[in-house]
Amino acid sequence: MTNPLILKLEQRDQLSDAEKRALENAISRVRVVEADEDIVREGDRPNESSLLLDGFAARYKLVSNGRRQISALHVPGDFLDLHSFLLKTMDHGVLALTTCRIAAVPHATLEKITDEFPHLTRMLWLNTLIDGAIHREWLTAMGRLSATAHMAHLICELYLRLKVVGRAEGDTVQLPITQAELGDTLGLSTVHVNRVLQELRKEGLIRFQGDSLTILDWERLKKVGEFTSTYLSLQNEHR
Amino acid sequence: MPEITLQPISVMTDGGGHEGHLVLAAGHLVAVLSRVTAEETLGEREQIEGWFLEAGFGPCGPLMSVTPPVFTDLDQALAWIRTRLEAGLDPS
Repeated sequence: MTNPLILKLEQRDQLSDAEKRALENAISRVRVVEADEDIVREGDRPNESSLLLDGFAARYKLVSNGRRQISALHVPGDFLDLHSFLLKTMDHGVLALTTCRIAAVPHATLEKITDEFPHLTRMLWLNTLIDGAIHREWLTAMGRLSATAHMAHLICELYLRLKVVGRAEGDTVQLPITQAELGDTLGLSTVHVNRVLQELRKEGLIRFQGDSLTILDWERLKKVGEFTSTYLSLQNEHR
Repeated sequence: MPEITLQPISVMTDGGGHEGHLVLAAGHLVAVLSRVTAEETLGEREQIEGWFLEAGFGPCGPLMSVTPPVFTDLDQALAWIRTRLEAGLDPS
């Protein structure tokens, strides 16, 4: 199976064989992290960055009373902490939502890549820029969309991100995220998450059984979520 | 501590009416509670049925507090409301 990071980057620009080899060789080891375990903790100063090969992870921060905000959801092909290479100290934690297979990419290797592969370096930079674009979009959705629209928006985004790395089967994706985790992502109570999902089901927009989410009416779902995919930079062009 | 009174009311949620209460403190509306089923708390760490704060006002509202978890019974809900009325800016 192709490294999902390569799939993710090749969506946005062509990679040379040398660049692909450099990415494959950058992985020093693969480890498994169980569900509900931290992959990286707030305050850590890792000497490697973690690439998600399989599973789902959440970037999160705790506030008083153990309340949690999830500031990003990660799918296969995502670097969980590419930025730790430069930011050095983690300002938030990353949690495995499911069993995750994580590839370790040592910071020393990333530094060599930046010395030897300028285009690939720009692609890694693009990766963190896309993370930033997603944060901005989430901020707008959380601040100004209704809860139902916000959920619709998130579903549209996750579907496309999973499709890029070959994890969609037609209109269906596996989304092993609990309502509580969705609540922590959208800034909603679990009760509201359940009501919003019910509303989207009732309107014939989605089918959500167990972990399986099927989009039944893509155009209407996008409209409800005020979703346009521009911020995901999905076009293939010279970077 | 102001006198807390409850008035039963039907609350529209989920396309239907839910059993609910208006909660008044010294005659002012401070909260609207509704009964939620276990189905509505699906995917929470603990799936329970009970009472949900549909709306809060003043110290019970979004300007000064965060939505509390579902309360297992009305006594718990009223205890939270009393704490909020006394607490001021402390968000718990």
